[in-house]
Amino acid sequence: MATQEQAQPEAIRPDGVEKVTGAARYVADLARPGLLHGRLLLAGVAHARLLGIDTTAARALPGVLAVVTQDDVPDVRYGAFVQDRTLFARGTIRFEGEVVAAVAAVSAEIAEAACLLIRVELEELAPLLDPEAALVDGAPLVHPGWESYEAGPTVVRRGNDCAAMTSVKGDVEGGFAEADIVVRERYATDMTHAAPIEPHLALAEWQGDAVTVWSSTQAPFGARAGVARTLQLAESKVRVVVPTLGGGFGGKCDFHFEAHAAVLARAAGRPVLLQLSRRQEFLATDKTRHPIAIDLETGVRNDGTITARRARIVLDGGAYTSDSLYSTELALMTAAGPYRIPNFHATSHTAYTTRTPAGSVRAPGGPQLCWAVEQHTDVLAERVGLDPVEFRRRNLVTDGDTGPTGQLFRNPAAVECLERAVALAGWGDDGGAARLPDGEALGVACSWWPSVPAPSGAYVKLNADGSGTIITGAQENGSGAVMALPLLAARELGMQPGQFSVLHQDTAAGPWDMGSQGSQTTINNGRAVVAAAAEVREQLLALASDLLDVAPADLELAAGVVRAKDAPSRSVVIAALAARAHGGELLLGSGSGTPPPLPEHDLSACSGRGFFGAFGSPSFTCHISRVRVDRETGVARVLEHTAVHDYGFVVNPAGARGQVEGGSLQGIGLALSEGTSYGPDGRQLNPQLLDYKLQTAADAPRFRVAFVEGSLAEGTPHGMKGVGEPPVVPPAGAVGNAIARATGARVRRLPMTPERVWAAANGIAADAATASTDSVAEA
Amino acid sequence: MEPLILAVAPVAVTLTVNRIPVAAAIEPTRSLLSLLRAEAGQTGAKEGCDDSECGACMVLLDGRPVNSCSYLAVQADGRSVTTVEGLGRADRLSGLQQALLEHGGVQCGFCTPGMLISATALLATTPDPSEDEVRQALAGNLCRCTGYQTIVDAVLATAGVAGASPAPPA
Repeated sequence: MATQEQAQPEAIRPDGVEKVTGAARYVADLARPGLLHGRLLLAGVAHARLLGIDTTAARALPGVLAVVTQDDVPDVRYGAFVQDRTLFARGTIRFEGEVVAAVAAVSAEIAEAACLLIRVELEELAPLLDPEAALVDGAPLVHPGWESYEAGPTVVRRGNDCAAMTSVKGDVEGGFAEADIVVRERYATDMTHAAPIEPHLALAEWQGDAVTVWSSTQAPFGARAGVARTLQLAESKVRVVVPTLGGGFGGKCDFHFEAHAAVLARAAGRPVLLQLSRRQEFLATDKTRHPIAIDLETGVRNDGTITARRARIVLDGGAYTSDSLYSTELALMTAAGPYRIPNFHATSHTAYTTRTPAGSVRAPGGPQLCWAVEQHTDVLAERVGLDPVEFRRRNLVTDGDTGPTGQLFRNPAAVECLERAVALAGWGDDGGAARLPDGEALGVACSWWPSVPAPSGAYVKLNADGSGTIITGAQENGSGAVMALPLLAARELGMQPGQFSVLHQDTAAGPWDMGSQGSQTTINNGRAVVAAAAEVREQLLALASDLLDVAPADLELAAGVVRAKDAPSRSVVIAALAARAHGGELLLGSGSGTPPPLPEHDLSACSGRGFFGAFGSPSFTCHISRVRVDRETGVARVLEHTAVHDYGFVVNPAGARGQVEGGSLQGIGLALSEGTSYGPDGRQLNPQLLDYKLQTAADAPRFRVAFVEGSLAEGTPHGMKGVGEPPVVPPAGAVGNAIARATGARVRRLPMTPERVWAAANGIAADAATASTDSVAEA
Repeated sequence: MEPLILAVAPVAVTLTVNRIPVAAAIEPTRSLLSLLRAEAGQTGAKEGCDDSECGACMVLLDGRPVNSCSYLAVQADGRSVTTVEGLGRADRLSGLQQALLEHGGVQCGFCTPGMLISATALLATTPDPSEDEVRQALAGNLCRCTGYQTIVDAVLATAGVAGASPAPPA
C-alpha cells in the first residue's frame, strides 16, 4: 500500500501570518466600550452544605457593578447526559471548584477583591474521594436527589454510578478454559488536565434581549445551547463567536462559563470579559481526564493466541456527569484494543465523587486504557516467551476478524503500522537490546480509534472576482482542521486553496456543527464543504456549457478554468464566469453530505451502550518509544519516538504530522509528568503549571512520523480518517513498556514519575495510594 | 478579612514599545503585560498563567527576554520593550517568523509570540546554537500543540541562514 512520508511540501496555514505577527485576535484581545472584568468565586471546599451567601460588602466596594449567584438565574439544571448541574452552587457544594458567585467590576483587581468580600456560610461534609467506596451499596450519594434529574436514554442510575456499561462477546468462561496461562493485573491512573495555554474566557454583550458571547470554546453551538437553556432564551437570541482559539484538547468542549458572563453583563448593563485564572483552570473546569482503575485478566495459549479477556474499569467522574458516557464507552472499546479476542467481557462504572468533574479530553479514556492494555500485552508476551512485537503480530486484527462488538474488519492496517514502526525504530530481532546502551530500551504500543461520523453543514460561494468563501459552523482549535477546508473546496472546483476565505466559528453564520471534538472536523465538515462546492461546480458547468456550447458532462474544472475535456483550449476562466454571474445567477452551494452509518455490530449482549457501539472507519496506530531510565533516580526520559498512523487519505500532510507530534508529546506528558494529587480534604495539591508539569522543549524527544494509507474511510472526503485524537492514545503504553524493558520492573500507576519508577525498580511501594493499586496477582 | 486597599495613586511611566514612545499613568500594582496590552495596544503578548510558568507573555526588555506578567509596569520606566509585533510585519516577516510558518511550527498560536521572543533572544546571543541549546532556550515557553520539533527545527534553520536573525531591535 502507498505510504506518505514526511517529505511532502509543507503548506503554510492561512492563519499563520497573523499568528506569528501577534495580529491574531483571541478573546482576551477584544475591546468593547465600557468593558468590565468578571471573576468567579469558587467554593474552596470539596463537599459542604451551602447555608448562605452574603454579598453586601462586595456590592459596596467602589468599582463593582454586579455580583450574581444562583438566585439571579433561572432555576434550571443542565448537563450533556444528566441534567445534574446548576450555573452556581445551589444548596450543596460538590467539589472545590464549584462556582459560588461571580463579580463584574471596572478592573480585574477590584473584581478579585470583591470576590474576597463575599461571605459564604458552609457546613462542611466529608469528601467522597474513593470511587470504589462511592460505588458500594449504601454509600452516601453525591446527588441524593438525582432520580428526579432529567437524563439521556442510555443513562443507567444506580447509587453513585452514572455510567454503567458492559461489552460482551463470545463465552468468556469457555475462553479462559482454553487458555494455558491466565494473567491478572491492576493498573490505575491519576487525574490529568487538557491544559491549553489559553485559559477559558467569555466576553458577553447584550443588545436588547439578545446576547453575543465571544468565547474560547471548542463547541460554539454547544455553548449556545447551554446559554439558551440555563438563561431560558431562544437559541436565536444567543450568538457565540470564537475569534481565535488558543487550544482546547477537549477541555473547552461543551458549555462552560458563557452564561456566567452573560448574566454578569445583563446585571451590570455593560459588556463583561470573564476570565479564569490558571489555578481555576485546574479546579473549576469540568473536563479533566478521568482517573481510572483498570483490572485486566487475559487468557493465552502457549503459542501466544489470546483466548479470552475480562476487564473491569472504574472511572472517577467527579461531581458531575459532564460527557463521561463518551469516555466510559471509549474506555470499554480500548480495553479490547486492536486485537483478536474471541471471548470478551468488560464492565465499566463511572462514579460520582467530590472531585473536579471529568469529561472528554483528547481521546477520552483512550490513553489510560491503552497504557494498561499495552503493558498487559507485554506481560502476556513475556509469560509465553515471545518478543512483544511477535506477540502482537500474532494477535493484531487482520482481514475478516471482528471487533469486540462484532464489527467486521476489512484490510485493517494494524499489522502494517506495526511492521512500519518496527522498521523505522530499529526494533530488529531483539527490540534493539544489542545496540542500545545500558539503561535504554524500546517499548511498543498499538491502538485503534474511530473516525466519528457526525452531521455537519457548509456553504460555498464564489464572489464576483472569482475568489471563494466557505461559510461553516466548524471550529478551528488550532489543529488546522478548518484550515484544511480550502484544500477540499479547491480540489472540487479546480481552484487554488489560497483563493478561499473561511467564515467559521460563529453560530450566527454557519450551519450547526458539533464543534472541534472527536477528531471530526475535517472528515465531517469536509464532506459538507465538498457537497457545497459540488453545487457550485454544477452551476459553473451550466454557465460554461452555454458559453462554450459544450455539454456539461464533457467539461472539467481545472487550473482555474472550465474547459472541454477533449479540447482544453475551449475554455473559460472561472473568474470570468463569476463576473458574468454576478448580479444574476447565484454561485452559491450548500451541503451537508450524509454521515456514514456505523459498521454493522451486535450489542445484544451488552448494556448501557450508546454512541460508540462500533468504531466507524477505525484508524490503527503503532508507536515505539526509546527511553532512558536512570536507575539511581528513577528519572525516565524519552529520547526518540516513532509514530505510524493509518489515516486513509491524508489531505494535509504537514497538518497531520503536527497533530501526531503534538499528540504524541501530550501522551508522553501523561506517561511521565502530568498528574493531579489530592489531599485528604478533597482539594487539589498542585493546581498550577509549576507542579503540574507539562513537557517542555527540553524534555521532548525527536519524533519520527510516517503514515500508511491502510483502508480508506467510508463516507469521508477521499477516504480520510480522524487525525487529532489517535496520537495521544499509545505513547504512555510505549513508554511504560520501554521502562519495564530498561529496568525489569513494571510501573502500574500513571504518571510514571521518578518516585514510582524508582520504587518499582527497587521493589517497594512508592506511597500509600500506590501501594493499594500496584499489587499484582498473576495466576 | 479586611478589604484590600485598591485606591493606589497612578504613577507616570515612560517607555518605548516597539520603538514607539509610550507615556502612561498607571497604578504601581499593574504588570508590564497589562500596560503593553492596554495602554500600548500591543496584544501580541498573551496571558496564559500570570505566574511566569508558561512564557506566553514574553517580551524583550532592553533586549533580554522576560515574562512580562511578572514585571511591574513601573519597572519598565525609561526602558525599551519589544513585543512580537516588533519582530516583523505581515509584509516583512523576520527570518524566524517565516521559518516557523514554513516548518509548521504554528498551531493554535497562543504560545507563538513568546516562543518567537525567546528564539530571537537566543539567536541574538548565540547565532549558531546546537539543538540542545535551542531546546534549553525554549524550555520556558510551554506549547501544548506542536511537540516542539517543528519549532526547534525552524530556529535551527534560521540560525543556518546568514542575516536571517538580526539582533533584536533595541
